[in-house]
Amino acid sequence: MTVVGRSWNRLTVPGKLIFAGLPILLVMTVGLIVAVILLGGPVLDVLSDNVPILRFVVAITAILLITIPTAFLIIYMEMKIIALMNLRIGPDRVGPGGSLLSVVHGLKVLMKEDFTPTGADPIVFTWAPVVTYLAAVMTLLVIPFAPGFFGQDLNIGLLYFFAIGGLSVVGLLMAGWSSYNKYSLLGGLRAAAQVISYEIPLTLSVVGVILLAGTLSLNQIVLNQGGWFSNWYVFQQPLGFLIFFIAATAEANRTPFDLTEADSEIVAGFATEYSGMRFGFFFFAEYVNVFIISALTVTLFMGGWNAPFPWPWDITLALDPGQLGVMLLILVAVVPLILTVAFAAPLWMISARIKGWQALLGGFVLANLFVVAVIGAVAYVGLDWVAGLLWFLGKTYAFVFLFVWMRGTLPRVRIDQLMDFAWKWLLPVSLLNLFVTAAAIVIVDSVKS
Amino acid sequence: MPIEPAHQSADDPRVTLDRELGVFEPVPPYPPRTEREAEFYTLGDGEMFINMGPQHPSTHGVLRVVLKLDGEKVVDLDPVLGYLHRGVEKLCENADYHQAICYTDPLEYVSSLFNEWAPVLAFEKLMDVQVPRRAEYIRVLSSELNRIASHALFLGWMALDLGGLTPILWSFIERDEIVDMLASLTGQRMLFNYFRIGGVNGDLNHDFMSRLGDWMSRATVQIESGNALLNENEIFVRRMRGLGTIDTATALRMVMTGPNLRATGVPFDIRRAHPYSVFPELEFDIPTRSEGDCLARYLLRMDEIKQSLRIIDQCLHNMPDGPVMAKLPRLMRPRPGRAYAAVEGPRGQYSTYAISDGTDQPFRMRIHDPSFIHLQSVGLMMPGHLIADTMAIMASLDPIMGGVDK
Amino acid sequence: MDRQFKERLETRFGERLTGLIRQRHDETEMRIGAGDVVPVLTALHDEPEFRFQFLSDLAGVDTGEVMQVVYHLWSETSADWLRVTADGLSRDDPRVPSVTSLWKGAEWMEREAYDMFGITFEGNRDLRRIYMPPDYQSFPLRKDFFLPDDAARSPGGGVRPMERTHDPRNAPTTALVRRTTA
Repeated sequence: MTVVGRSWNRLTVPGKLIFAGLPILLVMTVGLIVAVILLGGPVLDVLSDNVPILRFVVAITAILLITIPTAFLIIYMEMKIIALMNLRIGPDRVGPGGSLLSVVHGLKVLMKEDFTPTGADPIVFTWAPVVTYLAAVMTLLVIPFAPGFFGQDLNIGLLYFFAIGGLSVVGLLMAGWSSYNKYSLLGGLRAAAQVISYEIPLTLSVVGVILLAGTLSLNQIVLNQGGWFSNWYVFQQPLGFLIFFIAATAEANRTPFDLTEADSEIVAGFATEYSGMRFGFFFFAEYVNVFIISALTVTLFMGGWNAPFPWPWDITLALDPGQLGVMLLILVAVVPLILTVAFAAPLWMISARIKGWQALLGGFVLANLFVVAVIGAVAYVGLDWVAGLLWFLGKTYAFVFLFVWMRGTLPRVRIDQLMDFAWKWLLPVSLLNLFVTAAAIVIVDSVKS
Repeated sequence: MPIEPAHQSADDPRVTLDRELGVFEPVPPYPPRTEREAEFYTLGDGEMFINMGPQHPSTHGVLRVVLKLDGEKVVDLDPVLGYLHRGVEKLCENADYHQAICYTDPLEYVSSLFNEWAPVLAFEKLMDVQVPRRAEYIRVLSSELNRIASHALFLGWMALDLGGLTPILWSFIERDEIVDMLASLTGQRMLFNYFRIGGVNGDLNHDFMSRLGDWMSRATVQIESGNALLNENEIFVRRMRGLGTIDTATALRMVMTGPNLRATGVPFDIRRAHPYSVFPELEFDIPTRSEGDCLARYLLRMDEIKQSLRIIDQCLHNMPDGPVMAKLPRLMRPRPGRAYAAVEGPRGQYSTYAISDGTDQPFRMRIHDPSFIHLQSVGLMMPGHLIADTMAIMASLDPIMGGVDK
Repeated sequence: MDRQFKERLETRFGERLTGLIRQRHDETEMRIGAGDVVPVLTALHDEPEFRFQFLSDLAGVDTGEVMQVVYHLWSETSADWLRVTADGLSRDDPRVPSVTSLWKGAEWMEREAYDMFGITFEGNRDLRRIYMPPDYQSFPLRKDFFLPDDAARSPGGGVRPMERTHDPRNAPTTALVRRTTA
């Protein structure tokens, strides 16, 4: 072992990071600055000529990047909420309140052995999780997260959504067949039967919304639901909403329709032979699916990124920080102190047990929270996308909570009961919904004219 | 001469290996030896075998079931036992009478006290031992608590096999409290080792009585609220109703006992049919239901919990004073003879047939166990149902593999 | 102890009994020969004055001299358990007719008796081993079961030193551990 090797071994992990990381960082920074100086000009010219493409690329990247953290968050939510419903604690140790556990799970699946079972078709086996995952993620392209925040405003957005979303069944079938395992086969066939059966009520229940909105574009549908919450389509299409919700639960293979992965019956269904990151793809695809169906429910029926009340004022921020000049520096120095003292004084006066320094500390914390709140309010009021994003995420995660709640409470249905329900109940009811909606529209239009 | 260790190899005829595909079919590697084997292991048109192996999240212990499927419908099934066989009967022959009772605890480990009670009764008959009344009452009290704990486990497990994640944790709260109580009484949470020939191991203590009183005041409400999650849930009820129906004649032919038989309408309970201990003095009903399906078995066990609470109440009120253990010599040598004793456990009839040959070890200790009997009937209830129902039906019969495999 | 019951049994089955009917505590025991099992049990099952329709237990017993199959029955016509012992089965080839025609539930109990003792139940459609692996050679609960011998012949045998000290070829083949006349 050389001197360098031994010295390297004596370093702690942070030491190693600094020793190895800093030079690399320096080189990268210098290289980046050089590249920007040399190539900056021409690159900017090219980019500004192709803004739509650039915007699209950024949107796709953002979507792909948010799916994994979203999946992590939903996995953690599920573990924690079901645990609390079961009167136990759930993840507790990893990170505050166990919140980093799903990140650890993600790392774990990356580190597991990657194998293909004997007799399995290697190409189909490898691509099955990819197909499932892509089918899930590609649907996020058309969902409007906030005003102006969508991948692409396709004027056939909803059709695109169902078309691409339906590809997930191909992935399930590929997984079930190629695993060369009877359990997987059963699971895959069950999954295929289930997803296909519930596609029809799913799409039919949404046609009512399409008729009301007059367009397949999801962005336009959300815009139509602006103003008061009574404009939301859930009040005009309650039956449609109900059918959609049930059919979407079945599409996403969630309880009570999770018999494709019923682990008390057929082990893990179609994913029995998958391990490591291959299984990770299925796992994440399922939770991204939960997010997607929640997002779609919110978009179609619950007003998307609209707040429940209309925007009563038209505020534009008329501030220009540059005008202040030196006053800005003075303000930045003085305002925190003033706020700290302002919040500390009442704390100090409330109780004699709070000493001066404790009051100042509490004041500091409260001042920070106040500043964050002010910035948040300003952003909310001034930037419409902040408000939209907050409302959209809030509503979506409310629906995710609903799905998790159902998982913790309900048992699963049997395959024949499930098929029965889809073909004999949901399909006729969704057709009924469609006819009634169409008739109502015709009548209302003729009355108006 | 060294004996070579056996090893599994591809040449071993015991291993059925389809060399080309690397597939293991769950069929035995020899030609069928009995009629039933021949009938089962011949595939019809479009049928396939699937092996619900000993490692499975849902078979109540290590049980292997070979299912013959036609698509999703189960045509026939063949349980393969022996994965938990410990040779308890043989072990008991080489042990003292007192030691033999310890071997019987892990048979149906969920309801250990009943496993101990049957041999204790049989040995007491062999040795003509009179058990003090206080000991009898304590035996009834603790075993009825064990019955409630066992039914709570059944409830949770049944729901888990149907897919509900929550009821098992809620019912385990009940079981936990009872098991803690019994731990303060017997010293163990699960394999109690409490009953002795001639009485019980220790008297009631303050901790146990206070916990018991505390629990009994909340028991009814807690159990009811836990049950409400299942009884009023449409999905549970629809999955359990009409499933695994068995009629009285078949149940009697299959020699079923306990709640499985009472759910078909026969009010047969050993505590009333052939009373032992102080049951003639206690007032309780025998709940019966007539449908004979999974839902009936489930609801019946919930009714039995209520009756057990009644019995515990009466035991507490009528508890006599006195010793808890008869005075016996350390080494028991009963005269040669045979004795048979049966008790009513949460799964059915547990009985022991003991033969003594005059020494201090039993000559033969035959243990008869209800789960073993009931597992035979799964094949009768199954055909026509789907795989998902296999689990539901097996769960509703409430087998415990420790008892099935002895 | 049900004295009248003993008299009823003696009147009905007198000629088939191979010994006295013994009663102790709440059990009545009668012994019959192996060939009489089906007629006697059918009579006990069907006749209205007996109606012993509940088979409580079916056990094999190896007394060291002979093998026996013991049936325990219950009926509401008597306060006692009835124990029917099919006595006198030879230790070399014990055979008994099966009662699965009366009680289908006896099938597995007979399988267990076969597995543990080697008693063949004629008429049982499924007489194969139930606990031990299908290629197991010995019958464990017999009194001449010699464990190291069995272990050496079993599929996983011969690995541990205890098993190696007993060469199967030297094992005493007629060593009986215990015997009783109870």
